[in-house]
Amino acid sequence: MMHNVCSPVLQSKGESLQQQEASLEPASRLQGLRDRDTVTRFDREVSIYVKLTNLRLELRWKSFMYKLISIIHLPSYTLKIQVGKGLPNAEEAYNFFTFNFEPDPPDESERSSVKRQKQRKIADRDEGRGDEAEEQEEAEDLFVIDQSPQDFLEVKKAVYVGYQNLIQRENEQLFTPSFRTVPTSVKLPENMKPRYLEDEGLYVGERPHVSLTNENILENRILKMEEGKKWFGDDGRIMALPDPIKESSTRPPLFHMEEDVDPSLQTVYRKVRHTRCHSDPEGDYQLDVDVSGLIFSHHPLFSREHVLGARLAQLYDQYLTRQHNNLTGHLTDKVNPTRQLSVHGKIHGGQSLTQAMTTRQLRDSEQEKDRTLLKNIVKVWKELKALREFQKFSNTPYKLYLRRENVDRASDEREHEDEILAEVVEFEAESEEDYQKKLTEYNKQLEEWKLWRRKQVPTYLLAQEASESEGPIEEGPPKPEPPERPDFDSIEQQVREKASRIRRKPGEAILIPELSASGNITASELCPRPEIARRQDVARRSLFIKILYNDKEVSRTDSRSLNTDFRVHFGQIFNLKIVHCPQSINLQVFEEIGSSCSLLARVFVPVPEPSVVTGNVPVEEYEFSSNQRVMFDHEGVGSDVPLSFEADGSNKQTLLTSGKLSCCVSWGIGEDDVPLAPPVSQQPGGIHSGLDRLDAVTYIGASGLYDMKKIGEWATQSRLDPNDPKNASIMQLLKVASSGEVTAPEYFRLEHLQEEFNFVTDEELERSKRFRLLRLRNREVAEFRNYKCVPALEREVTDKVFQEYEKRLKEGEIIDTKEHLDSHRALVAKYLQKIRESVINRFLLAKHHYVLSDLVIEEEIPSIGILGLNLFKLAEPKRPLKPQRKERKKVTAQNLSDGDIKLLINIIRAFDIPIRRPQSNKPGQVQVRPFVEVSFQRTVLQTTTADGPNPCWNEELQLPFSAPNGDYSNASLQSVKDEVFINMFDEVNDKDRGKSIHTWVEKHWLGSVKIPFSTIYSQSRIDGTFKVNTPAVLLGYSKERSHGANGGYDIMRSLSEGTFITLFITMEPQLVPGETIREKVSHFDSQEDEHLLQASERFEREAAQGYPDRPCITTVIDLNGKTVFITRFIRPLNPPQEFLDAFPNNPQEATALVARFVSLIPSLPDRVSFSGACDLWSTCDQFLTLLAGDEEEHAVLLCNYFLSMDKKAWLIIGTAIPEGPTTYVLTYEQSRYLIWNPSSGQYYGQYDTFCPLQTIGCLVNADNVWFNVQEYTTPMRLSFDITKANLWKPFFSRSFSHPGLSSVQPEELVYRRTDKAAAAELQDRIEKILKEKVMEWRPRHPTRWNRYCTTTLKQFLPKLEMSRGQDVTEGHRHDLKRISGFPLHLPFCEIRPIIEAVYSTGVHSVQVSNVEFALAVYVHPYPNNVLSVWVYLASLVRT
Amino acid sequence: MAELHIIGQIVGASGFPQSSLFCKWGVHTGGAWRLLSGLKEGQTQVDLPQTGDMAYWSHPIDLHYATKGLQGWPKLHLQVWHQDSFGRCQLYGYGFCHVPSSPGHHRMSCATWRPLGSWQEQLAQMFVGGGPQLRNPDLIYSGADRYRLHTEAMGTVELELGVIMRHFDKYGVES
Repeated sequence: MMHNVCSPVLQSKGESLQQQEASLEPASRLQGLRDRDTVTRFDREVSIYVKLTNLRLELRWKSFMYKLISIIHLPSYTLKIQVGKGLPNAEEAYNFFTFNFEPDPPDESERSSVKRQKQRKIADRDEGRGDEAEEQEEAEDLFVIDQSPQDFLEVKKAVYVGYQNLIQRENEQLFTPSFRTVPTSVKLPENMKPRYLEDEGLYVGERPHVSLTNENILENRILKMEEGKKWFGDDGRIMALPDPIKESSTRPPLFHMEEDVDPSLQTVYRKVRHTRCHSDPEGDYQLDVDVSGLIFSHHPLFSREHVLGARLAQLYDQYLTRQHNNLTGHLTDKVNPTRQLSVHGKIHGGQSLTQAMTTRQLRDSEQEKDRTLLKNIVKVWKELKALREFQKFSNTPYKLYLRRENVDRASDEREHEDEILAEVVEFEAESEEDYQKKLTEYNKQLEEWKLWRRKQVPTYLLAQEASESEGPIEEGPPKPEPPERPDFDSIEQQVREKASRIRRKPGEAILIPELSASGNITASELCPRPEIARRQDVARRSLFIKILYNDKEVSRTDSRSLNTDFRVHFGQIFNLKIVHCPQSINLQVFEEIGSSCSLLARVFVPVPEPSVVTGNVPVEEYEFSSNQRVMFDHEGVGSDVPLSFEADGSNKQTLLTSGKLSCCVSWGIGEDDVPLAPPVSQQPGGIHSGLDRLDAVTYIGASGLYDMKKIGEWATQSRLDPNDPKNASIMQLLKVASSGEVTAPEYFRLEHLQEEFNFVTDEELERSKRFRLLRLRNREVAEFRNYKCVPALEREVTDKVFQEYEKRLKEGEIIDTKEHLDSHRALVAKYLQKIRESVINRFLLAKHHYVLSDLVIEEEIPSIGILGLNLFKLAEPKRPLKPQRKERKKVTAQNLSDGDIKLLINIIRAFDIPIRRPQSNKPGQVQVRPFVEVSFQRTVLQTTTADGPNPCWNEELQLPFSAPNGDYSNASLQSVKDEVFINMFDEVNDKDRGKSIHTWVEKHWLGSVKIPFSTIYSQSRIDGTFKVNTPAVLLGYSKERSHGANGGYDIMRSLSEGTFITLFITMEPQLVPGETIREKVSHFDSQEDEHLLQASERFEREAAQGYPDRPCITTVIDLNGKTVFITRFIRPLNPPQEFLDAFPNNPQEATALVARFVSLIPSLPDRVSFSGACDLWSTCDQFLTLLAGDEEEHAVLLCNYFLSMDKKAWLIIGTAIPEGPTTYVLTYEQSRYLIWNPSSGQYYGQYDTFCPLQTIGCLVNADNVWFNVQEYTTPMRLSFDITKANLWKPFFSRSFSHPGLSSVQPEELVYRRTDKAAAAELQDRIEKILKEKVMEWRPRHPTRWNRYCTTTLKQFLPKLEMSRGQDVTEGHRHDLKRISGFPLHLPFCEIRPIIEAVYSTGVHSVQVSNVEFALAVYVHPYPNNVLSVWVYLASLVRT
Repeated sequence: MAELHIIGQIVGASGFPQSSLFCKWGVHTGGAWRLLSGLKEGQTQVDLPQTGDMAYWSHPIDLHYATKGLQGWPKLHLQVWHQDSFGRCQLYGYGFCHVPSSPGHHRMSCATWRPLGSWQEQLAQMFVGGGPQLRNPDLIYSGADRYRLHTEAMGTVELELGVIMRHFDKYGVES
């Protein structure tokens, strides 16, 4: 169906307008509907029905409209507009919903003649828009479906409009402004004359150029617009600003001068590089070290003449520099103009006068210095000459000439006079001024006095009447004295005196010293013997210089002999290819005499800036000195020896070896002039540290502001503009600083406008507690590392937060002796604390250093083999009676919270528990009723009570675990210091004793096992049989074996004595123990040979691959944090002599005593203190000084003692329970191997079942390390024949022989005798403290002390010490009382562990009313302040 | 005592001639600013996009500053590097942008550039990689006479920064 709108062009205008209006009328809906319908009809027959319903509604509306039309009889199209606008009024709307229309008759009629109407409609398109037509259409559309498209289409030819027509039509629409000039009158408001500002003399800029035609067109167009005239100015032209385009371009032209580019803009072509895991690519850089020579300013072999010569040369140097600076001249020049200013123009008054004065004073002091220097030079020269005369030979070629420069006497005198006069005038002026000031003061006072006097007059007149002769009574202020006039003559006198002192006399020749080295040196033959000896000595010496880069020797110069003038010329350049960032460059000067050489001095050379490249750097001189004391019997004056040039030996000087090393260090230049320097970003201090150069404060640091040199460096580097007024203060300062000695102003400001804009002051910012807290947390300071919530408001941060931290800071200096009882221990504790902190900080740094495996977890791709195996397993028959072990899931300790972790402790059984002594030989009496109590983190759980000395509990105890601060990170868990205490008690039920019903239960401590949590964490499970620490004496108990009842049922057990308990401890869920940081921090410094380090790394790696569960250590970290090869720690060392003397005939006893001594040194596990599973090894002397160490220190010491006692001894690196990875000592004596536990002093045979050592990884002695490559690791199944390479793989073999590593241990250990009196004092103090504590623990009961028992115990304790707690011969028992108690034995380190140990025994908890206590303490001193502490606490109950 | 908290991320970069990019970044502030917590420089991982041109890093930035003045408002500078298939790294662009000074969430894109060397260098760059780098990277934010430097436009780095300001109003700074 064609649309009825056709182009209006073809019709007349009026018609077209009508048409347009009409085309409005089929408003969107109707029109659209019609179109839609056609579409529907042919395309989507399926949806017709739906459409139909819609249409019906429409029809209803339309029929209503039709009705309206018919009713109202309006011309159809006016109504249409209404409809089109869609605005039915209220009535219509009402009718629509309420009026019931009859079906329209026309509809019916027309439906029958669809075809006809249709055709009609096509024919008269213009009119066919009536409602009826539409409705007809709709209706017909519904029913006539099978019409062909041709019925609706009509072919028309393309419409063409001729060009002329088009132009014409466009002309009707468009307006073309003419390009003729518009007369001015049109452009201006009426009755206005144009006004030309330029003629009136006002400045009018040049208008931007616009062509006249364009301007005219524009004007014409504007005039057509409304208010067009407002665009025109007074002169009738379009208003315009002056031409903004400048005649010349502001931007300077670009010149392609590459060499002229600002250095900061320079680019460097960098090749693409491979990066390591670090971010910064490390290229190959080259550092050129040019060592040109060496000059001694003092050397021990200097003769006296040399000393003088050196001094002369030095003074002359000084003279030359002063001459060069010519400060005096400067100041003199400065004095003159200021003086004229102040003298002639008195207007300036005081200020310029004082300025002149200060300048003059400066000048005078400089002049004086010049003169004294000259005098000194002459003096030294005279001394030198005298010395040469005296000794009749000369050693030095120095010669001093004094050149006289004659001056014109007259003019000089005149000048001098002028000078003096000027100065005198100045002085006079000054004193005159002073005088004037005083005079005014005087006048004022005089006035006052007069005033006072006048007041006095009346009384005075009265008085006169009374007594005429009486003078006035002097009561008021005294009559002021008039000031003295300055004495101008004396001023002149003074000035003249001064001038004669500091200036040369008028007419006197100017002396110019000249030093030359042209003198002759007397030949050796003519010299006396000592001098010949000296010269020979000089000839024998030669020097060389070692170059150390980052503390590693990289090369050394050739050895050059010392010249007679004590200069050495090397002239060598070393090109160092470097990979690591330079940290230090160190030159060491060595002196060689014959074959021996000694370090003379070291010179630290700063690492050059990247811009410092070879070729543009001058050689610099670095001073060095050494404080070695050298004395000779020949003419050489020596070093650090007092020396006098006076005849009477007074005025002694001490000279130290010193000199200057001239060298320069710069970055090399590669091919095509690329400097081989690392970019700035690689310098330590971050990637972008380069930017700080523009800001002086950030570049040199605030502290550097006081350092003139640094500021100078900064200024030269940042190329400060000297003419910039902003930099004036800096330039001034630099000028003054470089010219020397003049005092500089004390401050200057760098960011001089900063302060005005500050919100708050620095102090206020520093004071903020919240900020401080945040920063401390960020710095990971120990106290704040895991601080979770920082308050949002300042006032919510309490001072309490910092208390602990500040206390720690303060304690850094003050050592609290009270807490430690022993000042030495206190010092050691502080020292350890410091080491610990530094190590922890290092580890914290290392912790932030990630490797790929930390970030990315890559599951291993299963290989075919594993897959096949697993598939095979599926096919396996199920065997319910043979359950498979399931691996527990491991949890990484990050998303855990309190209560998630439980400690599972399985107490399985115990052996050989001591039994009660039968008291009355009653048959059937219980032997012992033991139970086990486990305490951990304030939770205490206990098992049921079992019967007999070999009980079997088989119970599982669950103890909750909570980490400190709720922080479950690896580091935090590793540093948990809590221990699991497993105490064994005997439950004594008192029922059977009395006849009454009154029963009471008492528990008697039998022994304990301590297992640190860190061990459980790192081992993840602990399974084994442990020896219970039983007290040496258990009152009322004895070992079952003494009865001999069941001998021979377990032979193995009889080998060792003691009580044992079998435990299984693990954690639920299983935590993944943190890996050691050692692997990450592989770049510890080391002084070991690079080959050795590589070999050891390889050895360890191979060991770990082949036998992952066998510990293998070849290198360890010493206390300085350096890697040291392990064999260096082994060296025979003497044990204290008194131990050897104690048992001269019994080496067995002596061995035991030595082992005991070692075990008495307190243990301090590194793992706990360093939280990073890192072992620090200290040497034996350090260990004995610190008196605290890990198992390995104990083991090393014990091993070294054994070696010195001529035993065969090795260090065992292995694992043991409960310590985990540890170190034991192996000895071979009497054809059997013994394994020593160094921290307990116990030894075990190789086949001992209860030996705690589980795995042996490697053996170490002074020569070699052997790694266990046997099938088994338990000592029982091992062969200790280290000569067999198939059993023990040696580190140093034929292919890699021992390079002869020297030991790090001292040659000999020196022992201090421990003060017996101090030990006794300590004993008293411990006793007192413990007594107080016991009373404190029994707050509700009186605590009575039994004196008698105490003395008995006291006598008993030393015996125990003598027998080393092994002889359990007890002859003391009190029949009257039931006594329970036992001696505790501890190595002494602090008081706290002693108190805890006493508390854990629970002796104090006896609640019976008539209980008495006995406490005895014994401290046995061993050499070197090793103390053995015995505490015997017993409770006595009267029966 | 005003505080500024910058929390956001370096989202990624696009428009570089090659993908497989990583970014080194740092924040520079004036002397009046104190870093309370957070890291002020770092480096992202290398991202090799599977689809599209944009390399996504999503690298977190979390900085907390206290300041006693407005001078030296923090600015972020970036260096985009490219790691090629041989594992070699070369510079792809320098760029810097100011941390927005109004609180709220900001999406920013930082255009980057790199120095254009001589024609020999460009030729070498085309075949063997590498390229000119600034000898002093501080030029990125300093106002030296840069017009002498010939540069080439590289891609843009997308950043999302959330800025939280505190107590600035106390000192008369309206945000």
